[in-house]
Amino acid sequence: MTQDIHEYLAEFDDIPGTRVYTTKRARAGYWLNQFAMSLMKAENREKWLADEKAYLEDWPMTDEQKQAVLDRDYNRLLDLGGNIYFLAKIFSTDGLSFVQAVSTMSGMSEEDYKAMMMAGGRSPEGMRSIKEGR
Amino acid sequence: MARITAGVATSHVPLLGVGIDQGKMDDPYFKPIYEGYEWSKKWIAEEKPDVIILVYNDHASAFDMNLIPTFAIGCADEFQPADEGWGPRPVPPVNNHADMAWHIAQSLILDEFDMTIINKMDVDHGLTVPLSLLFGQPDAWPVKVIPLAVNVVTYPPPSGNRCWMLGEAIARAVESFDEDLNVQIWGTGGMSHQLQGPRAGLINAEWDQKFLDDLTADPERLRHIPHIEYLRETGSEGIEMVMWLIMRGALGPMIKERHRHFHVPASNTAVGHIVLEKET
Ligand SMILES: [Fe+2]
Repeated sequence: MTQDIHEYLAEFDDIPGTRVYTTKRARAGYWLNQFAMSLMKAENREKWLADEKAYLEDWPMTDEQKQAVLDRDYNRLLDLGGNIYFLAKIFSTDGLSFVQAVSTMSGMSEEDYKAMMMAGGRSPEGMRSIKEGR
Repeated sequence: MARITAGVATSHVPLLGVGIDQGKMDDPYFKPIYEGYEWSKKWIAEEKPDVIILVYNDHASAFDMNLIPTFAIGCADEFQPADEGWGPRPVPPVNNHADMAWHIAQSLILDEFDMTIINKMDVDHGLTVPLSLLFGQPDAWPVKVIPLAVNVVTYPPPSGNRCWMLGEAIARAVESFDEDLNVQIWGTGGMSHQLQGPRAGLINAEWDQKFLDDLTADPERLRHIPHIEYLRETGSEGIEMVMWLIMRGALGPMIKERHRHFHVPASNTAVGHIVLEKET
């Protein structure tokens, strides 16, 4: 069963509040994600924490990507090709947990987000499709 | 001859490794999660599998954006726990049954599954957390583990149907390995969760429960769930559940559900766990 790649991809844009990590994003975010990956090494984390701007100079990322990293604007970073598992290296270096970092993307306070998760998480109702409003 | 006797599926949430490593098993947040694994720990201590084929995904630990294999099989003798940015987990190294891994690799390729063979690789929480959940904190893992890594990060990941067929091919490969071994296959990851964007925190317990039901009741339905349904219904990271279908495909038609556990939340995730035995 072959599937039309254009139809396959077009449906991704119909999901509310979600950036699917497609090959297009992977291409745009290649260096951003590789930079983030470099923070897996303790000696790189030290250099990064000592001078973030200087550390970024060595990476062929766009200015927008660099600014979004400095701003820790994770939704923006997703738009610019960042992938969450790579971006996790940045927020882990900041000492943030997944719940803390993820709550910043949802626009909720950490407390409200945690309370939502303890109450069973975000309901899929109305969150499945923009077009169909379901 | 080697034979697959059972399948296990479980979430592999990193926090569940942290809870075990830091001795928080009785903490009120963790207790109801770990209690759901008590039955399985006793079960596996009696089953004593020789080898586990452990299907998981790497989360930007061993694989960066340079290499994105759809299906990779670990063929070295040993794998170390990965440093995921805060030091490696304090768990034993993973010992492979390398002869069997190479046998499976060559059999799969001949069977038209073009596997990536990987030797030097650290294994992250996707592989080590399920081992901790079932075996606790031993000095050495009491079983050989063949790591089978699936790309579920960069789209498109493999289809559910392709995963199922890979499972069937793995079963054929195991059966043609000339050593008397009790083999299990594990599928890990899931269930519903979304770690990114304004929709983060999505959980769909109803969908997840139906998925657990249909592993025995209607596996044909699961096999044909398109990616877009996982994305819409189970969050952007729920797609990990295609890895459960490799496990399910390998078990064949005659199976029995022995145990099930479901709990919300662990961190951002719905925890699901099931034990399936092959009927002989
Ligand atoms: Fe995962």
